[in-house]
Amino acid sequence: MSSLRHHLLWILVALLLAVSTSAWSADYPARPITLVVPYGAGGTTDISARQLAKLAEPLLGQPVVVENRPGGGGVNAMRAVSRADADGYTLIATTSSPTFVTPALRRVGYDPLQDFLPLLNYSGPYHGVLVSADSPYHSLDALLAATQDSKRLSYATAGALSGARLAFTQLARETGAQLQHVPFNGASGATAALLGQHVDIALVPAYRDLVKDGRLRLLAVLDDQPDPDFPEVPTLEQAGYDIQFPSIVALMLPRGVAEERVETLRRAFTEAAASPAFAKVMKKLNQPVRVLPGPALAAVIEKNLHAYQQLAEALKR
Amino acid sequence: MLLDAFHALLDVWVLIAALCGVAIGIVIGAIPGLGPTLAIALLIPVTFTLSPIPAIILLLGVYQGAIFGGSISAILLNVPGTPSSAATALDGHPMARQGRAGEALRIALYASVFGNVFSCLVLILLAQPLASLALDFGPAQMTALMTFALAIIVLFGGGSILDAALMTLVGVAAGIVGLDPIEGLPRFTFGSFAAEDGLALIPVLIGLFAMSEVLLQAFAGRQQGPAERGIDAVSSQTSSPRAVGWLSLWKMRVTLLISSAIGTFVGILPGIGSTVPAFVSYGFARSRSRHGARFGHGEPEGVAAPEAANNAVTGGALVPMLALGIPGDAVTAVILGAFMLQGLTPGPFLFQQHGVEVYAIFEALILLSIPCILLGLAMFRGAVHVIRIQPRHLFPIIAMLAIFGAFSVNNSLFDVAVMLGAGVVGFVLRRAGFPLPPLLIGLILGPPLEQSLRQALLTSSGSATIFVHSPIVMGLVVVTLLCVLGAAYQRYRAARRERAA
Repeated sequence: MSSLRHHLLWILVALLLAVSTSAWSADYPARPITLVVPYGAGGTTDISARQLAKLAEPLLGQPVVVENRPGGGGVNAMRAVSRADADGYTLIATTSSPTFVTPALRRVGYDPLQDFLPLLNYSGPYHGVLVSADSPYHSLDALLAATQDSKRLSYATAGALSGARLAFTQLARETGAQLQHVPFNGASGATAALLGQHVDIALVPAYRDLVKDGRLRLLAVLDDQPDPDFPEVPTLEQAGYDIQFPSIVALMLPRGVAEERVETLRRAFTEAAASPAFAKVMKKLNQPVRVLPGPALAAVIEKNLHAYQQLAEALKR
Repeated sequence: MLLDAFHALLDVWVLIAALCGVAIGIVIGAIPGLGPTLAIALLIPVTFTLSPIPAIILLLGVYQGAIFGGSISAILLNVPGTPSSAATALDGHPMARQGRAGEALRIALYASVFGNVFSCLVLILLAQPLASLALDFGPAQMTALMTFALAIIVLFGGGSILDAALMTLVGVAAGIVGLDPIEGLPRFTFGSFAAEDGLALIPVLIGLFAMSEVLLQAFAGRQQGPAERGIDAVSSQTSSPRAVGWLSLWKMRVTLLISSAIGTFVGILPGIGSTVPAFVSYGFARSRSRHGARFGHGEPEGVAAPEAANNAVTGGALVPMLALGIPGDAVTAVILGAFMLQGLTPGPFLFQQHGVEVYAIFEALILLSIPCILLGLAMFRGAVHVIRIQPRHLFPIIAMLAIFGAFSVNNSLFDVAVMLGAGVVGFVLRRAGFPLPPLLIGLILGPPLEQSLRQALLTSSGSATIFVHSPIVMGLVVVTLLCVLGAAYQRYRAARRERAA
């Protein structure tokens, strides 16, 4: 009995040594990596992040565990990750709203530029300017011109603090158009309100089938590039307005992770995001694959954060 | 098409998926705090390896099973497993206390199945036209509908109308905490980031109903054994299969039909969920019944009405999700993702491109009733014995499940604090004799009512004519007024009869 206990003790000591040496050694990653998803399980952000994690696992040689932290429109998870250890074992798969929209509008408890290192952008659903198919407006110009003479048009968005709202607020300020914002709980509510003609315009993603079915008309996209499904539809910038709402779905790290660890993660996740297997899943989800390296992503975030901060200041006055 | 679809169901994986889905659903539903959304989200990776039909059936089985499963704990323990089964506890638990637990469970099961089949038939026959009906409900119409629902809860919920109105207002006031739905400004958050999401429904529900039950037991004085609590779960009378015959179901046929129709209709509309139709159907059944006074004291119809309604919501909620690709709530949003991953993109082209799969899924939804009944009856045999567990063993477990359930919603300790706070509030209110359901309904309907009202006024530039111009709104206003008058007349007659006697 006692010899058995002895054996167990030795095995335990050996195991502990093995664990601690691997933790001390330079080879990274030595333990599972946590990928935080700031939304609930089962949504498109969650499903795509899980797929990306699965594809990155063999490249990293360690499991990538997805952890859902919903709440606060993604802000809660961002705040938690900004305070996590910068050891390269915690990442976040985040979107536009908690990265450069909400922080421009109110106190969130983190600085998106100082506290995070953008690693890679891998998706971002195109947001469209949509009207009902039997609406009289066939172009953005016609729509804006119609609002000049005392007529107000209402536009639905996915929520009070959405980036689409900010883009349209700025559009209204620059053109003098009379546009009334009506926020809904999520893009699906806004789409339904447009389909039922309770509002005149909706600024929502995931419009492809409804446009192809002839229920809705796409006048413009808010992104900085045209939607590949509708290459003939202009972006706001192509239509002559210096405004954009670029949609991002990106991996970010807390600032301060050692450069070689960042490089390991960057290589693995970039390869996973560019893989045909990932493209296949994203096609099924009706989501684009948009790979953008860290520095370019950082520029997008910084540019729009500043633009929205200025707009928020102007709105307060 | 329907026959092709049926052939697609003749597959052993379909059977396995249906059995597993329903079984998992019932168990998840019965545990307070764990709901179908969580279970379905966790099962989505499992469905990657399955072909489309079994994959979707597995998830829809969980959805159906969970809504029914919530009634088991509601009836046996007075602790609703899901928000939608809170109404079932009103009469289900008194029945269990009278030794009729088996009967109550069977009624809940059969009413659930009835509601399911009803709403699935509606889904098969009328998905497209109903989806466009749902679109007619904009902010103004939703405002009128939610006002109507609040009126029904207050007028016909049973007990004092003043108490119910007070509790509803408390619920609505509690719903103000969090970010303003239109401007996004924080209200009553006291600088706390966690409070910006408001008081989440699941923690409040667990606190109000489960934690307060624990506190009531803890302060009930001397420990009572099950026999002394007047519960005899497995008496010979209740375990006989004749206890709920076809006759008693036939007697409830009108209630079952009305409740299922309410559930299906509300399910089609976005954002209301299954709790409100359950309570509204309960109110309707009570106001229609000749034995209205028996409601709340163990009336079988009071179990059947909410169960038929909350299960009918499942079919209704799938209507806009499948026909337009627009999910109405968290569960259908998760199911939408699962459909897309299987290559069945919901929306206008779903029925054209994947007709066989879609109709196979519809038929399976109806056929899921069979495993639901079989597994339900089998589980009752074990479940009724839960009542025999000594309170000193049972209630600590419920307390732990309550904490775990509250935490699991958002992985947040704030939710646990909300749950405990709601538990103390619920305990005090129950001790004082106030009804809790109107508080729950006020909390559920308050925020969307505020949002709809303000959206309606935003689209009309602040003019109230938006309500007058809509026939749907005027119809709902008239029905609401008729209900108020009806309730007043009922009271007047009851008072006169009392005076005459």
